[in-house]
Amino acid sequence: MALVKRRDGKAGDAARENASAGRSLNELLPALGATDAVSRRQAARELAAHPNAAPAMCGQLEGERDASVRSVIFTSLIKLKTRTVVELLAPYLRSEDAALRNAVVEALQEMPEDIEPFMDSLLSDPDSDVRISAVTILGALAHPRVPEWLSQVIQSDPHINVCAAALDCLAEAGDEEAVPLLEGLAHRFPDEPYINFAVAAAIRRIKGE
Amino acid sequence: MLQAEPKPISDEELAKFYEFFYRKTGIMFSDNKRYFVERRLQDRIVATGSADFRAYFSSIRFQNSVNEIECLINSMTVNETYFFREDYQFTALVDGICPDIAENKKPGDAIRIWSIPCSTGEEPYSIAIYLLDRWSRADEFDIEILASDIDTRVLASARAGIYGERSLQKLSNSEKERYFTFLRQDQYQIRDEIRESIDFSPINVMDPKQIQNYRNIDVIFCRNLLIYFDDISRRQAVEAMYECLVPGGFICLGHSESMSRMSSLFHPRKFSETIVYQKDVSSR
Repeated sequence: MALVKRRDGKAGDAARENASAGRSLNELLPALGATDAVSRRQAARELAAHPNAAPAMCGQLEGERDASVRSVIFTSLIKLKTRTVVELLAPYLRSEDAALRNAVVEALQEMPEDIEPFMDSLLSDPDSDVRISAVTILGALAHPRVPEWLSQVIQSDPHINVCAAALDCLAEAGDEEAVPLLEGLAHRFPDEPYINFAVAAAIRRIKGE
Repeated sequence: MLQAEPKPISDEELAKFYEFFYRKTGIMFSDNKRYFVERRLQDRIVATGSADFRAYFSSIRFQNSVNEIECLINSMTVNETYFFREDYQFTALVDGICPDIAENKKPGDAIRIWSIPCSTGEEPYSIAIYLLDRWSRADEFDIEILASDIDTRVLASARAGIYGERSLQKLSNSEKERYFTFLRQDQYQIRDEIRESIDFSPINVMDPKQIQNYRNIDVIFCRNLLIYFDDISRRQAVEAMYECLVPGGFICLGHSESMSRMSSLFHPRKFSETIVYQKDVSSR
């Protein structure tokens, strides 16, 4: 009959969620392991009000296979935004699960103040893949020390792929002050045609040539 | 004392800004908007007391200036709404989305469409007119159109449904005659049967309690809202809409917005000339 005015106020799920709002940490933690994704999402959403829930939520990430639940857990962790959360998430930068690793990078980009004390250590991690992830975090991190961290990588990181990642970030956000740094990078890897090409391209871009 | 005009913005600075703004909002400017963008950037540079573009860009890129980003986005976007705006999405609704939804419905079932933010009502009324005029199976279903906005003043205006010629510029004379009553010069009111069929309600999409009242939605039109949110608010809003949709439900975003830049929870689907985003059919 085509257009009709809405008939019901709310559906069943909503009524159930209303009934469960405002639960304690002790009630919510078991719900985070519920069999249905709707309950796990609802628990994860409410856990954003409980800073002590960070270890449980971070622990849930590895085994959680439902992308929608993972997404809500990350949102709650970003809302909590503490050094503890950074500390608990950072190990996942070593995960074999690329989707999880990328989600951690995106979440950490949202915690500029809290990640600051850990950034030097991430940028000097023995694993070059972790350092690449750390540079990727810098790519969208709203922190005044980003240019300094990127310079540090460009000047001293021994791994070509880490430097290339930093080069991409500087090409996007850097200004003419970055040019000598980039030239220095080309000198550090004189036998790497890719770096020489990328440095030249980045300098042209920065200078607007 | 008059404040000095900031230094002109160079080509490379502008290119850097275009890229940053695109990454932040999905809105891509080209050089034919150069004057518009430069003028507004200069205004923001002066308003924030920045010495020049470089200082201003550094403050928005490397500091967490959420308020300034919001001001910047506001100044770069033009809030104008009218009937059949971005009508290729309404075409997608009647030619692709609704037929797709109907495959899993029985005659008499409800199809629920939510317009948020609905502003002064042009979007939900456009949806209604498109469905009535251009979807041959509309009569087989009970189509519920919900329309919400955080601003109660615009909702009052939407409920009244009175518009000037400018709002109706994309409608044919036949559409105006069939769906509007002429009140006086430059004032037309949408017909009562349409006006009264739409459920207008205030909502703050960031309030979980409020959004719980919206469930089993088949299609959400959420155009040009999320670009105004900071990243965490955008995540929360998208996840809230995920809960509102039925499995297989759709979200239509504004032309400059892309879900893939906000969330991986939805799959892109191409209908007619546009991309919309679908919640997984097997999701719960």
